[in-house]
Amino acid sequence: MNNISQQSDEQVVELVRTKDQEIFSEIINRYQIKLLRYATYLTQDDYLAADVVQETFIKAFINLQSFNVKKRFSSWIYRIAHNQAINALKKQKKYSPIIDNLDFSSDQDIESDLLQSELRDQVQNCLEYLPILYREPLTLFYLEKKSYKEISDILRIPTKTVATRISRAKKQIRVICQNQLKNK
Amino acid sequence: MPKPVKKQINSQSELPNLNETVMSAIKSGKVTMKPKWYFLLGSIISTLSLVGLSIGVVFAINLTLFLLKSHGRMTQWKLELMLAGFPWWIPVLAIFGIILGIWLMKKYDFSYQKNFALIAAFFVVAMLIAGIMIDYFGINESWSKRGPMQRFYQQLNNRNDINRPWQKQLKTPKRINSLY
Repeated sequence: MNNISQQSDEQVVELVRTKDQEIFSEIINRYQIKLLRYATYLTQDDYLAADVVQETFIKAFINLQSFNVKKRFSSWIYRIAHNQAINALKKQKKYSPIIDNLDFSSDQDIESDLLQSELRDQVQNCLEYLPILYREPLTLFYLEKKSYKEISDILRIPTKTVATRISRAKKQIRVICQNQLKNK
Repeated sequence: MPKPVKKQINSQSELPNLNETVMSAIKSGKVTMKPKWYFLLGSIISTLSLVGLSIGVVFAINLTLFLLKSHGRMTQWKLELMLAGFPWWIPVLAIFGIILGIWLMKKYDFSYQKNFALIAAFFVVAMLIAGIMIDYFGINESWSKRGPMQRFYQQLNNRNDINRPWQKQLKTPKRINSLY
């Protein structure tokens, strides 16, 4: 098992496919916490997130032969989790990709003074108020530390769109956090 | 803005043991891996569908052009008559094929990395150009005169003749004259 823990995700997947299906537990161990965190940010519901992640692992196992080992496994499994979360939200009628009416002034230089670490803390507190359309790329970028390319692969949108959404999300979250501070 | 309702797991013991749940489903055989050929077959069918669909669309486009040309110059009353009797299923089939083709292309991995509107536009233009080119080089004409497609073209032309009363009007007096 020690040997397996040193191998890459793609190598582990190949072992599951060709040798022993029980090695899939290694994949679950590697991604359980990450996916639970991601699904919780999306659904804002720990129980629903747990269901989403369980379904994600089951779907990943069923369709494991369709995964191309030349690509990144993490993007592939995050994509499944994303689909599962969106489906779960749609079932609960919580999914609204339409941008909320957020009042933000355009003359504020909101991006320049925003440090990444500061943003990360703010993101976690204010994320639940952000529309899911922006919550997703922002979560993946700042909290899951994914690159634009990986986010593009997970959300199936062009890299330019990822950049645009993150930029807009930053602006919106800044306003949300400012409003929250004012209300306190 | 109202605060979203947040359901939280408060203790570590409440955390679900996903590893155990998923692995027991796998070990018991409740969850099984789909075989590789299943996905291979899927991608082959999808590729063949796209190729077949493209050929079908090009054929429908050039057939539409062929039928339009066979009607000759459009005066207003001729156009009205032609519109009434035109085999509309051919252009409708072409449009439906294009929509289906675009939907199929959206399923491919490359589609989200590029500007999909541009890919779709390119597909439509490519189909139109291919249809026009086949008509331009007279392939339609030769197909209508010989080869396995001859009968199909003749049937379409015959159906069109029924819907071209001006040609009948020209033919009838000749026939009458020959009787005398």
